[in-house]
This record gives sequence, structure tokens and C-alpha cells, in this order.
Amino acid sequence: MIWATPTLALIAAAIAVPALIILYFLKLRRQTKEVSTTLLWKKAIQDLQANAPFQKLRKNLLLFLQLIILGLILVGLAQPRSSTASIGGQKLVILIDRSASMRSVDGTESLGSKTRLEQAKAEAILLVESMRAPGLFDSEDSSDEAMVIAFDTNAEIFTTMTADQTTLLNAINAIEQTDAPSSLNEAFRLAQAQRPNRYVNDAGADGTEDPIELEGIKGGDTFIFHLFSDGQIPDAEVVRADNEDDFPTFEYHAMGTANAVNIGLVALRAERDYNNPRKLSIYVGVQSTDSINRRVDAELLIDGAPTSVRSIELPAAVPDPITNKAEPTTAGVVFELEEPNGVMAIVRLDTSAATNPQADLFDTDNKGTLIIPPAKQASVALVTTGSLYLQSAFASLPLSELSVMSPSEYESARNDRAMGAFDLVVFDDYLPEPSDDGSRLDPGRYLVLGQALDGPLGVEDLGTGPGTQLINWRRTHPVLRGLTLDGLVLAETHNFAIPEDSGVVSLAESTKGPAIFETSSADVRAICVPFDIGKSNWPFDVSFVIFLGSVVDYLGTQATITVDQSERQLVPGQVLSDRLPNDATNIRIQLPRGESSDPVIPSADGSIVFGPVRHSGIYEVKWAGQPGATDVVDDGRVSRFFAANMLDTDESNIQTLPQIVLANRTVGADAGGKLKRTKDWWPWLLAAALTILMLEWWIYNRKMYI
Amino acid sequence: MLRSENPSRPTSMEELLSSDLIARISQLDVSSKKIFAGKLKGERRSKKRGESVEFADHRPYSTGDDLRHIDWNIYARLDHFFMKLFMEEEDLSLHIVIDASASSDCGTPNKFLYMQQVAMAMGYIGLVNLNRVAVTAVGMRDEDLVVGGEKSIAGTIRDLRGRRRTHDLSRFICALEPERETDFTAAAKRIAMTRRGKGVMIVLSDFFMKEGYETGLRLLVGRGYDVFAIQVLSPQEVEPDIAGDLMLRDIEDGDQAEVTISAPLLKKYKQNLAAYCNGLREYCARREITALTVQTDTPIDTLLLDYMRKRGLLR
Repeated sequence: MIWATPTLALIAAAIAVPALIILYFLKLRRQTKEVSTTLLWKKAIQDLQANAPFQKLRKNLLLFLQLIILGLILVGLAQPRSSTASIGGQKLVILIDRSASMRSVDGTESLGSKTRLEQAKAEAILLVESMRAPGLFDSEDSSDEAMVIAFDTNAEIFTTMTADQTTLLNAINAIEQTDAPSSLNEAFRLAQAQRPNRYVNDAGADGTEDPIELEGIKGGDTFIFHLFSDGQIPDAEVVRADNEDDFPTFEYHAMGTANAVNIGLVALRAERDYNNPRKLSIYVGVQSTDSINRRVDAELLIDGAPTSVRSIELPAAVPDPITNKAEPTTAGVVFELEEPNGVMAIVRLDTSAATNPQADLFDTDNKGTLIIPPAKQASVALVTTGSLYLQSAFASLPLSELSVMSPSEYESARNDRAMGAFDLVVFDDYLPEPSDDGSRLDPGRYLVLGQALDGPLGVEDLGTGPGTQLINWRRTHPVLRGLTLDGLVLAETHNFAIPEDSGVVSLAESTKGPAIFETSSADVRAICVPFDIGKSNWPFDVSFVIFLGSVVDYLGTQATITVDQSERQLVPGQVLSDRLPNDATNIRIQLPRGESSDPVIPSADGSIVFGPVRHSGIYEVKWAGQPGATDVVDDGRVSRFFAANMLDTDESNIQTLPQIVLANRTVGADAGGKLKRTKDWWPWLLAAALTILMLEWWIYNRKMYI
Repeated sequence: MLRSENPSRPTSMEELLSSDLIARISQLDVSSKKIFAGKLKGERRSKKRGESVEFADHRPYSTGDDLRHIDWNIYARLDHFFMKLFMEEEDLSLHIVIDASASSDCGTPNKFLYMQQVAMAMGYIGLVNLNRVAVTAVGMRDEDLVVGGEKSIAGTIRDLRGRRRTHDLSRFICALEPERETDFTAAAKRIAMTRRGKGVMIVLSDFFMKEGYETGLRLLVGRGYDVFAIQVLSPQEVEPDIAGDLMLRDIEDGDQAEVTISAPLLKKYKQNLAAYCNGLREYCARREITALTVQTDTPIDTLLLDYMRKRGLLR
């Protein structure tokens, strides 16, 4: 039982009850009547008083009733509410999982045709409606407040702490389903960040106390988290809920059913054969949570046309003997086809079972899309004065064309504008003369060896220096990934300085300074290795060939062999980012559901950022202007396709978990997903008081006074 | 129960006794369980063998007997003196005691008026049957209204006999005013001392006497009077119609009782009233007093022709 305004009721009781009793202590103003004798009356009164054990109360039935009425009104004034938790001014954090698995439509009767998210929103609304509103005579402090956070991979605050139920309901209703995987940690941190920092009073040297704000240590009221989810949250175990003995600070409202069946794609990958890029392999991984063996059809559509159908046998999910939870099983299939062109491949699962409408409760993961770039091997122009090891190294790479030319041949071809046919131009100890604006490179991709590229895109050349070794390099950069450069010894270094605020990124550093750098503009991208490779042991190291191969991949083909790692593949929740040609204007993105985004404004170098994307499907970036190599031009508009696929084993396992394992404790789902609601009792108390008042009136008129 | 507001006082006999009632009660006579000796030769048979013409019995002569009553025919046949005994007809004393205290002046219909009417009717019956009629009003008065000085007697009239004294009787009764309290014991003592002869005594009162009615009745029942106690109650005393928080003030002694009328209290009051009336009846039964409780809404003729005849007061 919660008392919203107990103090007020106590004060009112302290005044009203004695006042009422004093009124009864006052001598009743009786009407005088003359009777023939008082003999019998006195005797009757004496008899009555002698026979009545509770004669004081019986004597004052009206007082008794009035005390009851007053008591009911006073109790009503205290605004009692029944609830389990008896603390005032709770701060609730409503965490609503909007991840892909919440799209499941569990087929139980109670849920009807609602998705889990819709049910979660409905229950969250019940929770909000049961929040304690400020009492009639109450201060705002004692009312419940809540904040609404929806989360998938990202977390988003829909409303900050407020007691206004309308705001909260609007916020809950505004939450939309996404296809992203779920991650609780960010949502939890986001909520905790709303708590004020803790202050401590620090007595300074002069004895005055100054409050010091402790960064990162949160004070304020404890937040009570209400998590509406199906429990499939991989990172829940990093969340630490506050420990309070007398009330729960983390409540888990489980949505959905524990034995929900889903069959969905959890892996989708396309690869081109290394030696024969025309040959395309598409790997499909499927997961099942059904307790029986299932056979589903996987259909491959290339550019919308059904191309192949393969059947997949899925073994039954076996319940874990300890947790009694069915462990999902997986199976796969590979489509192989000859496809040199860039295509859009769609893999569709047919999971319908004629006899069981609940054979697959979640259909978002039944379809996956791959944007497959065309099979491409780079054509490379090697401009050299005659470096044998470079020629032999490039000859070993799978290139469509390797053209070795001298600087003079290059200049003539450049003047003939014939160099555009090459994907990559390698300058070996040579740099073209700068043009009028100072730039040495035409639009294109370049690998510069043995020269420090200067000019607007380049660095400040400081000449050569003594020998040294590489001490650091970017192991994550595509061209240096997997390389070990510890053993590289340079007989001579080429010193240079990177101007501030330039687009130059150092990729490797020697003891003397930067050793390898990358520079890029909207139409030029170059990797520069200024030191003389001939005066190092690098050509004799296997890493040199790998480096050249990576450079050809990175600069020449702009696509790694594995398609699903390309930048055209997204996971819902990620940000769509790309670089468009500089002259691209009127950029819009068509979303999977068909609607078009607001115009996207590119940055100076043509980069665009959109998102995070919410749904799985195809995102089509459209612009007016120059098309890229793989882009589709239709009616003057250029289109570039991106595919977002969920492909998440945890999300595709839609079995609702009965408990959430946090870092410091395990929270069970509350019984049946039902919420403990507070209930206002004062209207009933006032109604009872009114009833007794009417009873008293009736008694008074029935002349039954004592 | 409540004091009557502006009660109407009878001013003449016609207001006390309607002619219709007179016609109906004219053939009644006052009866007694015993035949009493009277002072005058009246219409009543006496137990005493007397001098009337009606033969009663014989008895042997004893010395000193009146020789005039010797039955000479018996002497001629049996040669013994036998006295002829005759029924002696005697007059009957009808003594009506009426409670003229303030408590009688209550109720609707008014109790005192009712008592006046009963007293007048009984007195009339007594007069027309040549009984000796006396009426004593009981009630405290400041001045001594009776010879010998007794403040508890509010008035008395005695030795009325014959139909022509009817108006004297009615004048006396109409002149009575109910006021103040009673001292029934003192009054009964006085009445017992001053009454003469034997006869029927009718006590009309509500018998609500705080000092008790027992002593008074015991005094009255002595000396061979056949006492009838008629308790007159108003309907409001039997079924009180009051409600609310009241200060009940005794009309006689000003005693006050604070009551808040309730169903249990009313129930208790009725139980007490019934017990009180039963107590009166039982006391009277032990003293050979005929007790009768009557409500003032009972018609006079019903009381006279029905109740009193059943109890042998009238015949």
C-alpha cells in the first residue's frame, strides 16, 4: 500500500477527529417536553445503560458512523494505492527492444496478431499508466518519472526523465521496429548517463568545503529499469544493475514464447574464384529452432530472376539437458554460377509448412541480398626505368593487363589521354612533372615508389637520410593488413614532412619519421613509398609481393574478393557511408520500403553518411552526375546499390528467454509478463463514506438514535 | 403522555355525560361483592337480617330479641320461639376518588376529562340507585379544602343521595382543576379516616406515583370497602409518539430526564410500563382490589357497559 499524501491526511485527522468528538462532548441542546411522569423513562434509561456493554458507543451510533465516515474520508485524503513497491518517486527507465527478433508474431491466443514490439509497447503503456501521478496536494518530487529508451544495436532516448504520461505514451508509440541486432549495453550506459554526477564535499586547506563533482560516478536516485524484450541480447551480461535490498532495480518483461520457431538466414556470402573471377560462389547458412527436422527451399534470384532453387535439410533443434532450451541447428548450401557482371543476388527461403502456420514466426531473416560487383582484374601500368623485381612481382599477380612503360611512353600516353584505361599506375622512381596548379597526378589511382610525392596532395620532401628500420605501421589498413615489416631494413631513408591539415595519412613510420603514406582527393588516390626499395631488403621478403597485391586490390579493383566484406554490404544498425564523385548532386537514398530519404549533403570530398540504417533490404543511392565504375545509370540518374542483411544468429533465435543474465545477477521474467499495477483506492473510500452517510441519514430518519 | 395544550374543561353535566349515555347507563346499578350495611334503608340487600319485608330465615329466639319479630305461627306449631329474619335493604356508599394532580392533565384525549366523565357516570349511577355518593379529589393544594385540614385533598363532596343531587355532583366535578402533585398516601389516609360506612370505592388515577401507590391503596382497602382501582392512561403513554433528543420534565415535581429517543429505549419504556401496570394489578389482586387499566381513547360506554360489568362493579 502506498500513501500518496499521508502527511496531509494525518494533519487533517489531527484537526477533524478531536473536533468531531468535542462536538459530541458539547451538551446537546435538547427540546424540553413536559410529561406526566419521568418515572418510567428514567427507569428505562437506567435499564438500557445497565444492559449495554458498549453503551457509550451505542449511545452515540451517529458519532460512531460519523467517525467511520471521517476516517474513510481521511484515509481517502491520504490517497492510498496498492502496489508492491512502497517507495515514492520512482525513476523508471523503460528499455524497449526494437531489434529484429521483436518483429516475431508469436501465435498464442493472448498475443493475437501483434508483434512482440507491439505487445511490448502495449505493456509499457500499461506500466506508464500505472505510474504514480503527482497527488492532488503533492509536490512533483514524489511522483514517478520515466524515461523511454529504444534500442537495437544503437540506443535512442525517446524521452528523458519526465512525469508527464502523455509525453511518455507518445514516446512509446513513436518507437519503430528495426531489423538491427540488439545490444543492451549502450542503452544501459545511455540511461546511466542521465543520472547526475556524484558530488562530494571536500574540505579545502582553508577549511571551506567545496563540492567536487566526481566524473563517472553517478549519484542521484536509483533508476529502476524495465526491460521489454525477448531476451535475445548477446551483451546483457556486461550490464550491472544496481543492488537494492528492498525493491528490484531491474525488471524483465519477457515478450513472446519460449518455444517460438524460426528458420532464417544467418550467413550469406559471395566469393569470386581467385583465378577465375567469372566464377561466383554464394554461400548460404540457415538456422532452425524447430524441434523437428525441417526441409526448406532456398531460392536464388539474380537481378530479380529466379535462377536456382536448392533444398536444405535442417536437423531438429536439440534441447539442452541443463537449460532445457533448444539449441538452434544450422545447415548450409552453396550456389555456384558463372556471373562476370555486377549483379544483385537475392536468396529467399521458403519456410512455409502447409500443416503448421507457426512453422516460422519471423520472416525478416528469410531473405538476404548481396550486391556483387563485377568480376574485375585490374589493369596496371608500370612506369619504370627498368626494375626487374617489380616486373616479375606484378607478373605473378592475377591482373587483366600489365603494361610496362618508360616515363616517356607514359607521358605520351598521358597526352593521348590513354592512361584512363588503366586501373592503377605504378611509378617506379619517377614522378610526372607538375601541371599548372602544382599537382603531378591526373585523376586515377597511383602507387609511387622511390619518390616523395609533393604538390597539393603530397608532402614536403626533405631529401634522403641514413638507413633505419620501420618501427610501426597500420596493421588494419587494407594494404598493410597481415604484413610483418619488422625485418625490413632500409639502407637509405627518404625524409619528408606531412603538412598539417593535409589529406595525407601516414601508413608506416621509421625511426626517422613517416615512411609510407597515402594521399587522396576526390579523384586521385595514391600510396607513396618514398624510400628506395632497391636499397632495402624488402624485394626479397614475401611481404613485398603481398603488399603489391594488396595495393592492386585496394587501388585497382576497389573490391576485395570476398563480397560480403565489401562496403556495399551493411548490417541494420550500421551507418551507410560511401564516397561519390565530386560532381554528384541531388543525392537521395531510396529505402527498402520504397520511400525516399531527404536529400543527402555530401562533404567536400564527396563522402556521404546516412543512417544508421534501420531495416534490412536494398538501399539505393541516387544522384545526378558522373557515375562510378560499377554504378547503374538510368534516365540521367546514377544509382548505387547497398544491401542490408540481418544475418545474426542471436537475432534469428527468437526463443524468448525466461531470464536475463546480467553481470551481477540473473533477472527472471515477471510472472506471465504481467505488470504489477498500482491502484488508487480513494474513490472507493469516498464512495464508502457517501454510502455510510446515506445510511446515517436513513437511520436518523428512522428515529433510531442512540 | 405530554401535557395537553389548552385542555377543554367541562362546564356542565351535559359535557360530562351525553344524554345518550345517560339513557344507556340508567338501568345499571353499582354492585358489590358483598352486601354492605348502609345507613339508610336503601335498595340494597344487606347481609344483616333486617327489617325489610323480604323473609330471609328463621333462628331460635334468644333473650333480648325484638318480640315483634317472633314468628308466632311456628311457635303455635312447634312451641318454640323462632325469630323471623328479614333481608334488610341498606343504602351503599359509593366513594369516588379522582386524581386531580397535574399528571392527570395529560394526553389526548385528556386523562382528567376522562376521569371526570367516568366519575360523573359512576356518580350518576350511584345517585339514581339511591346510593350514598361521595367524591374526593386528590391533589396537593395550598389551602385546606377539607374540614380537619388536609392539604393533600383537593376537594371533596359527600353524602349525596338521590337523582336530584346530580347537579351538585356535576358542579363539583366540573369545578375540579388538575394541578400540582399528589400525596396519595396522605390523601388515602385522610379518606380512610373520614369515610363512613362501607361500600364501593373507585379510585381513578394513572397511579404514576413516585412515592408508590401501595400504602395508599392498603389504607383504602381497610374498613371493608370494596375498592376498584381504575388506572387511566392516555394512548400516548402506551405508545409514545415523541422523537429526538429531549429533556423530559415531570409535570408534577419538575424532575428532568435527558433522553434520546431510540428504538431500544422505546422498547424498554414499554416493557417498564407493562411491568408497572402488571405490578399494580398483582398488588391489587393480593388486596382484593379490582384493578382495571383503561386508555382514554376507550369510549366511556364501553368502559361502563362492558369492562365494569365484567368485573362486577356494575350490573
